[in-house]
Amino acid sequence: MRSNNVLGFIFAETLDDKIPELASSRTTASVPIGGKYRLIDFELSNMSNSGINNVGIVAKSNYQSLMDHVGSGSAYDLSKRRSNLTILPPYGGKTFSNYVETIYNMHGYIEHCREEYVLISPSNVVTNIDYTDVFDFHSKNQADITLIYRNGIIPSGYDRAITLDIAKDGRVNQVFVKPEIGENFNHNHAYGAILIKKDLLMQEIRNALSRNQLDIKRLIQDSVDGFRVFAYENTGYCAAISSNNDYFAFNMDLMKKAVRDELFNPLRPIYTKVRDDAPSRYGLTSKVKNSIIAQGCVIDGEVENCVISKGVYVGKGAKLSNCIVMQDTKIGCNTNLNYVIIDKDVTIKDGRSLMGFDSYPIYIAKKSVV
Amino acid sequence: MVPKKEVVAMLLAGGQGSRLGVLTQKLAKPAVPFGGKYRIIDFPLSNCVNSGIEAVGILTQYQPLILNEYIGNGQPWDLDGMHSGVNCLSPYQAVDGADWYSGTANAIYQNINYIERYNPEYVVILSGDHIYKMDYNKMLDFHKEKNAACTIAVIDVPLEEASRFGILNTYENGEIYEFDEKPEHPKSTNASMGIYIFSWKELKKYLTEDDSKDGSSHDFGKDVLPAMLSAGEKMFAYPFEGYWKDVGTIDSLWEANMDLLDPKVTLDLKDIYSRNPMMPPHYIADEAVIQNSLVADGCNVYGNLEFSIIFSGVTIGKNATINSSIIMPGVVIEEGANVQFAIVAENTVIGKNAQIGKKPEDVSDRNDWGITVIGANTKIGENAVIEPKTMIDNDTEVMANEK
Repeated sequence: MRSNNVLGFIFAETLDDKIPELASSRTTASVPIGGKYRLIDFELSNMSNSGINNVGIVAKSNYQSLMDHVGSGSAYDLSKRRSNLTILPPYGGKTFSNYVETIYNMHGYIEHCREEYVLISPSNVVTNIDYTDVFDFHSKNQADITLIYRNGIIPSGYDRAITLDIAKDGRVNQVFVKPEIGENFNHNHAYGAILIKKDLLMQEIRNALSRNQLDIKRLIQDSVDGFRVFAYENTGYCAAISSNNDYFAFNMDLMKKAVRDELFNPLRPIYTKVRDDAPSRYGLTSKVKNSIIAQGCVIDGEVENCVISKGVYVGKGAKLSNCIVMQDTKIGCNTNLNYVIIDKDVTIKDGRSLMGFDSYPIYIAKKSVV
Repeated sequence: MVPKKEVVAMLLAGGQGSRLGVLTQKLAKPAVPFGGKYRIIDFPLSNCVNSGIEAVGILTQYQPLILNEYIGNGQPWDLDGMHSGVNCLSPYQAVDGADWYSGTANAIYQNINYIERYNPEYVVILSGDHIYKMDYNKMLDFHKEKNAACTIAVIDVPLEEASRFGILNTYENGEIYEFDEKPEHPKSTNASMGIYIFSWKELKKYLTEDDSKDGSSHDFGKDVLPAMLSAGEKMFAYPFEGYWKDVGTIDSLWEANMDLLDPKVTLDLKDIYSRNPMMPPHYIADEAVIQNSLVADGCNVYGNLEFSIIFSGVTIGKNATINSSIIMPGVVIEEGANVQFAIVAENTVIGKNAQIGKKPEDVSDRNDWGITVIGANTKIGENAVIEPKTMIDNDTEVMANEK
């Protein structure tokens, strides 16, 4: 199977309700992460790097920041004569709370696309995966459906996680929805990336609608009986963001060289909307330890275990530890912040003190003035 | 048909820039990296775009590959539109023969066709080796107001340095009456910045005349401008205030980079556009110490930085110390290496505990010390010592005992 025969189909609002503050003014897909990225950059880059030329992003609400970020798709090389990025707002003004009706609502777009296969994908997963391997796996096994999974602990935000019982040859024996998830117990967690033939997808969606079966997870569960369902393991680094804590933990994971080397593989770069920021400037009074810092920043204070996004200013005498600071925020002089997630364009005035905790980082909303 | 443009900019980017030594051995001078993520040409190009100039011709001749690739379709500078564009103009073969560009004026003369396509009123001539931010519109307004044939931007330089520059002597109203190239006893401190605005009709006439003149070196400064002056054309000096620096030598290139770290210097990098490497934000490790430095995306810093400019994708190993240096993209500085007052070109590896350059004992005595330059794709071995002021070639390997 050639990857240019695959349509990418990303849900922009995966688990929006699990990160309510971060996603209050935007979709999950456009949540800022890792200093200069938005969540969807990873999936769009994966698709683009794997030769997928046509990507649709299903958006339900609050998608202005998403549109602003992905634009025409040119940052991902998805805006060419033979490649395309389309944002799919609710068709006919109708929104649905289940995937079956949502996908059916987009049938006009899906059927119009010339690709034979669809890769459905969530927007809350940070990973660097070569989908051409998945396509090869799918064709080699003559699979009808391939579910991509990771083996690991299921993040706490997944209320109805899908786990898989897999035979030696990779075929899925059984699909479990919402299994008992013991803490610190590894599961084969299918996080929502699915490769399927387009016609089969639409046929199953229509059948499901006629049976009034609106739960896509049940649909996947039932498909094991009638179809060749295979499971492909994503063995790489894979963070599924399902809570503020997951979000925090992922950002902190970036301090590990192994994680950075894997996620930001120069052969499969992660693309993002370009901003012309100057290199970051460290002043004479700066003290920075174990931190990720994007361009366009001016750092005059002390920063430790932080992810600092584009265009952030950290004043003299400021002490930041364990913070995630999003773009263009200004942190005044002699401030003291610990375990704080600070959204875009926030102003922390001189001398302020904010303390969260390891297990409960506090969140400061976009454009706030503290 | 190409729509008319009031102004066309022509950027002279063909010179060898031999005074930059190994840095321009395989690279045209305007493509030399600057300021942590830029190349020199980003400054005049961004100035053009920010001044609303939509047609830019870049005259290339010497080692144009990297420069051509970098300019590409002009997208980073918004010069890829329906009504805007940038073109790299190399010497070409025509019916009546083929010639290299024999001088700055000749380069423009050979591209009269390019300029005429836009049917412009004015032509801006720029150099590709200056660092400054300028609104050419203001200069153009001045040019129109004075009804000049030619306007030359000038900057006030200290009297003791004036003999290094081309000095323009003017009447009180700014009209030029004399050119004084590197005068021993300067009469004024108005140094030419190498930025000219011409009314196109006049320029075309003088370029054509110059081309048929025997013995002409076809240079703006030496031939065309003096010819215009002696013919009595109205020529004015436009005073520019702000940061401007010629970065044609190793010392001045180093100084201009260091100026970015000086809070007293007025140059900011806002609205300077460039191609951006697709790299993640940089990482500063626990043991790193960074003071007064610029760091770009994709770097991993485990060592110490002081007064330095670090380009994208650079790795600074543990206990390595970088002081007052410029480290270009992709360089790896291994553990314990010590780089001082140096420029290290792209993708070079500095081995463990190597010593590159040295901090001068007395910085004020400018004749007594110099910058060490390490070429691109070079490997400096473990414990090697590279003396101050030396220049190491591109693509070489230097082991410890070789010096």
